[in-house]
Amino acid sequence: MGQGVQTSLPMIVAEELCCDWRRVRVLQADLDPKYGNQITGGSGSIRSSYQTLRKAGAAARELLISSACSQWAVPGTECRAENGFVLHAATQRKIPFEQLLDAASKLTAPVDPPLKSLADFTLLGKPTRRTDAPAKVNGSAKFGIDTHVPGMLIATMERCPAYGGTPRSFNADEVKSLPGVRGVFEIPAAHMTHQFGEKSGPDSRNYTCSGVAVVADSTWAAMQARKRLKVEWNEPAAIRESTDTLRQHMIELVAKPGSVIRNDGDFDTAHARAAKTIEATYEVPFLAHAPMEPVNCTAHFQDGECELWAPTQIPDAAAASVAQALAIPKERVKVHVTFIGGGFGRRLIQDYAVEAALISRAANAPVKVVWTREDDIRHDFYRPAAYHSLSAGLDAKGNLISWKHRAASPSIGIFYSGTGISAGEAAGVDSLDFPALSVPNLRLEFAVAETGMPLGYWRSVDDSGNQFVRSCFFDEAAHAAGRDPVEFLLAALGPARKIDLGQGNGTIDMGRRRAVVELAAEKSAWKSALPPGKGRGLGVMYGWGTYVAQIAEVTCDPKSGAVHLDRVVCAIDCGFCVNPLGVEAQMQSAVNFGLAQTLKSEITVSEGRVNQANFNDYEVLRMNEAPPIIEVHIIKNNERPGGVGEPGVPPTAPAVVNAIFAATGKRIRRLPIRAADRA
Amino acid sequence: MAISFTLNGKAQTVDVSPDMPLLWVLRDTLNMTGTKFGCGMALCGACTVHINGEATRSCITPISSVSGKKIMTIEGLSADGSHPVQKAWIEEDVPQCGYCQSGQIMSAVALLSKKPKPTDADIDDAMSGNICRCGTYQRIRKAIHRAAGSPAQKA
Repeated sequence: MGQGVQTSLPMIVAEELCCDWRRVRVLQADLDPKYGNQITGGSGSIRSSYQTLRKAGAAARELLISSACSQWAVPGTECRAENGFVLHAATQRKIPFEQLLDAASKLTAPVDPPLKSLADFTLLGKPTRRTDAPAKVNGSAKFGIDTHVPGMLIATMERCPAYGGTPRSFNADEVKSLPGVRGVFEIPAAHMTHQFGEKSGPDSRNYTCSGVAVVADSTWAAMQARKRLKVEWNEPAAIRESTDTLRQHMIELVAKPGSVIRNDGDFDTAHARAAKTIEATYEVPFLAHAPMEPVNCTAHFQDGECELWAPTQIPDAAAASVAQALAIPKERVKVHVTFIGGGFGRRLIQDYAVEAALISRAANAPVKVVWTREDDIRHDFYRPAAYHSLSAGLDAKGNLISWKHRAASPSIGIFYSGTGISAGEAAGVDSLDFPALSVPNLRLEFAVAETGMPLGYWRSVDDSGNQFVRSCFFDEAAHAAGRDPVEFLLAALGPARKIDLGQGNGTIDMGRRRAVVELAAEKSAWKSALPPGKGRGLGVMYGWGTYVAQIAEVTCDPKSGAVHLDRVVCAIDCGFCVNPLGVEAQMQSAVNFGLAQTLKSEITVSEGRVNQANFNDYEVLRMNEAPPIIEVHIIKNNERPGGVGEPGVPPTAPAVVNAIFAATGKRIRRLPIRAADRA
Repeated sequence: MAISFTLNGKAQTVDVSPDMPLLWVLRDTLNMTGTKFGCGMALCGACTVHINGEATRSCITPISSVSGKKIMTIEGLSADGSHPVQKAWIEEDVPQCGYCQSGQIMSAVALLSKKPKPTDADIDDAMSGNICRCGTYQRIRKAIHRAAGSPAQKA
């Protein structure tokens, strides 16, 4: 879906296999249990595959070496593999892999083959260009929406503007008679299986939308006919909410104690003793994913079997949800995975696969269901809105001694699993969240806000909004203490050391946490003076096994209030870096994605309906708003590889908002930044 | 109604409703899926093609309006990826998901045909109609400067 795994994962195999990288061709696998978990998401591809792919490459290499040694009748210790050949140094003989395949395929693969030492790596760690770039610059790369199968019809669906509504009546006969139309079908809502294979309780809300599908022989005919469709809806009995009603609800929630997620020391006593205290409330809106490829899927249901061509992040979940919706065994669902034109967590949800399957069954033909951009913006599974109340206390020396964070937000966990989960699982915050371990008296509470809106995973999930809140309030504490924000953070993090997080959560390395902050500060010349109107701000993130610090430099026009992003300096420690060129791309990607939520994007709701429709009112970052420079500095070490798709998103909003404060003295506590907040 | 035009250097005739946008003629009628659908309202640039050398959003261009004109799509830039802009895109490792890149490249080619050595402000003006959600903007800018044969203006 763009994060580069069609390059980085084959690189891992190729390194151990010792093949010629220039001759490697990458093919996308269909859903097949023999490959194990095929999910792409959660910044997990390299993290979950690194060791298994190394072993696979090494095992194949050993088979090839064994075959050559047999052929030459020499001991295995005298042969080695290099660049697609097996070589016997003593006799200077060499044989290309392709001549050994037949013999090698008859041998049994070793279970625990020797792996290369890092010192012997010739490919991993080197900047390597993407294997899929040629197809993506000549128009030949096939995305889900480009699928074409013989006899295929195109469908587009009218869905109730308020989530959960059902059609009461519609003018089927009139629309059926329009040019190119082959059918008009009511499609019921379907309860999806949990995308990560967890339990979906009876009150879980992960349903597809019900609606009316117009099926035609071309996309244009389907879209034009749909414009003539008139549907009367049974509106959902769910909350008739608006942005304001939800906001009021969340404000009331944070005025009371919530579920305690973490409680270190004694906040109340320490806070009462503080020399200086600060308080603030923060808020973030619902966000849509808005990937450039509109949601779509192609399905062909016939003879009790269903074949899918899906731009999906979880082919197994697509099969499971489709099997459930069609009441067929999961083994009878075949999934071809296409290129995805942007995921960002939207394609974790399999609603498009279910829709395509149901429409295909109704139409008795292969069907590609295509969402318009309006459908995508209005019927997303949104990043939840949230409201936060924070208090912090400083001692006489300006050290942070107390921190209370109360967050209220709709719960993604409850949406997908139902109310039968623990408070911890339902919470939109985590007990390990920053600044845990760095403030002696810290309390974190969460209250679930009721909503009728569909919810989902937006690149970096809860941290996307929460880290803006925490990193900015932390910056407020630094300024209240009269201290430099970088120095203040390093002091709170404490010395380099490893802390066991307990309960199978691994360890956090405070040395690595400090190192990215120090590197970002050094590369941005943090201590150097800036002229009036310019400022620098710091944002940090630890998550997915990776440490990130970002420093944004902004110029603020005092008259217009306009903010210009001069540059963003990133430091990342993702452990051993498989492809530095890919990591640089991911960080730039994450910063630009984070800037969209900082400066532009917001979903608002009126009477249960999303107000926005297209890129004119759901605005995202454009070329002229992107910083001209995003520097990415990758720390080199041999730690376990961490994830890189998401950790670069959470630090961006606080880096920018803190920079604006440094430049103007104006503190912004909600996203996206509005002109009124800057004035 | 039969409408004729030149497509990537070859004569083409289609018989479709005259109001069908060029985008859907390309994608559905001619099965050329390199040009992409992103918004249907000329807000995102994914559908950008050249009509008589001008960058145009094909999603709002009715097929009747291209009668007799020369159309170039991403598929027509080169037979083998050898167009200088395509090569620059590869050198700078620009694409991520890649969905917006056909439109980005077509807009960049049109820009360079008018301004062979564009400034960063020229790039902003010409390219801000092309959205990239993966955020490849910085590498797109570098690639345009590379294709123009000029060093990047901001180090």
